[in-house]
Amino acid sequence: MSSSLGRIGAIARTTFIELARLRVFYVLILFALVLIISSSFIARISFQQELQVTRDIALGAINFFLSMLAIVATAQLLPRDLEDRVIYSVLAKPVRRFEYMMGKFFGVLGLLTISLIAMSVLCLAVIHLREGSAVRETMQQMTQSPPEELERALTGLHQAGVNQDLAFALLLTLMKAAVLASATLCISSFATSNIFTISAMAMVYLVGHLETIARDYWLHQHSAGWLIRAFLALVLLFFPDLQAFNLSDQIIAGASLSSLALTKLLGLGAVYIVGYLVIAIAIFTQREL
Amino acid sequence: MTEPAIRVSDVTKIFPTPFRRRRIVALQHLNLEIAPGEIYGLLGPNGSGKSTTLKIILGLIQPTRGSVRVFGRDNSTVAVRRDIGFLPENAYFHKFLTGTETLRFHARLSGLGSRESKSRIAELLETVGLTRAADARLSTYSKGMLQRIGLAQALIHRPKILVLDEPTAAVDPAGSRDIQNLIASSKKTGTTILLSSHLLTQVQEVCDRIGILHRGKLIREGRLEDLLAIENQTEFIVENTTPEFLDQLERQIASVNGRVVLRRKPQTSLEQLFLKVTETRDE
Repeated sequence: MSSSLGRIGAIARTTFIELARLRVFYVLILFALVLIISSSFIARISFQQELQVTRDIALGAINFFLSMLAIVATAQLLPRDLEDRVIYSVLAKPVRRFEYMMGKFFGVLGLLTISLIAMSVLCLAVIHLREGSAVRETMQQMTQSPPEELERALTGLHQAGVNQDLAFALLLTLMKAAVLASATLCISSFATSNIFTISAMAMVYLVGHLETIARDYWLHQHSAGWLIRAFLALVLLFFPDLQAFNLSDQIIAGASLSSLALTKLLGLGAVYIVGYLVIAIAIFTQREL
Repeated sequence: MTEPAIRVSDVTKIFPTPFRRRRIVALQHLNLEIAPGEIYGLLGPNGSGKSTTLKIILGLIQPTRGSVRVFGRDNSTVAVRRDIGFLPENAYFHKFLTGTETLRFHARLSGLGSRESKSRIAELLETVGLTRAADARLSTYSKGMLQRIGLAQALIHRPKILVLDEPTAAVDPAGSRDIQNLIASSKKTGTTILLSSHLLTQVQEVCDRIGILHRGKLIREGRLEDLLAIENQTEFIVENTTPEFLDQLERQIASVNGRVVLRRKPQTSLEQLFLKVTETRDE
């Protein structure tokens, strides 16, 4: 057991180093940075709205960056190992194929976690600074206002600033990226090129974001028969409901996420990850190299 | 009776081609036995089934029919691979790792502890002559250096069997000679070696026994001296004699109805000449 973990750890570590040295990683960071910094040039409507829009842009950028990184980075892992023939020397060692796949997944997960931490620190710093300056300016402008009004304005600012909901949103962004990484690994376990994997994942990404809208439309606007229900259930089974992990809209709207809802979403993500990994391992174990 | 190091029994491998009726028969009823400590050369032109044979032995692909046993055990079990080291053909390994990191990675995969792997890595880097390049990334390595680090990773866990797929492909003569010497030194430690190559001279120099594959069939197999010997001829090389003595010898041979087929000065090989010239320049 411990030696199995050791092998998974060795593959995960090497995968992390491999991905961390990819140029695409730095390009995407740059892209995310540009998006975050662009939030500094928002037309000011009110302090609270400015903070909300900043959070929206920052969360959106992190969400998009992590999702793309999860797909692009994972898609090239198996083809690259096959091309460089690394896979032969690795699997000729006493390494089980599930250890190889788990190592690859945890390597990607490590990269996504580190990326999220780096992005979050930057995002939280930007929001915290803007919140601080908004609080100061509000207090200066409302010196003549009644205390209740000032209190209400400050509460609104704190709700739009750094708080627990923002942390939950970031955690769910990581879970969504992990689901995408496991789905990508699943597709690349039988794909013959990373172009195919990325194209297929683009479809998964699209369907995953639109299926909630489609489901609501079919189930509530029409009298859905068993065939439609079965089709929707099938779509939900294979395509993760990615929109469920996007909390930025709810947070902008000021809605708070309960711990139970968070746990449910994390559980849903875990189920998808385990499911995709089980399929990926089953296919890869049978694959002739 | 000692179990063979590798026993391939009646192995057939057929690759189906999707969307086509045609099937590719890579191996047909292949039988092989390699004794412990032996160096076995698997020869054959490109596409003859050499790499497929090696992959089946390593458990990377499954035979359509037949079985493979390694020291008497089914090769599909992971434990069997503790006894095997493999150098793939044209392997590039992880280009972003250094030589030491590459060996450490493979040591971890082989279950070596950190202290053991540290000393083993230093020992192997010394053996393959890469101590000075140990901290350079593999992306800066030459083809010969990559093959040597590949050999080191294959040897990291002291395997009983070494499987080498075209170990000197695209390597210059000096690098090729180094690898041949490493193979010869591995044999001294009792390691069984299965070598696939289409470089016949190299195989002739290091192998005890060979098998020739052609279109997936083993068409010839045996000990090298048996396969290469010309039964009705004898060769001897003499030195410090006079031309008169050699003439006398020829006449004596003719007197017993023998025939001198060839009389000439022995020649060095082009490889030996190349190595001698380049080594002299290096000095």
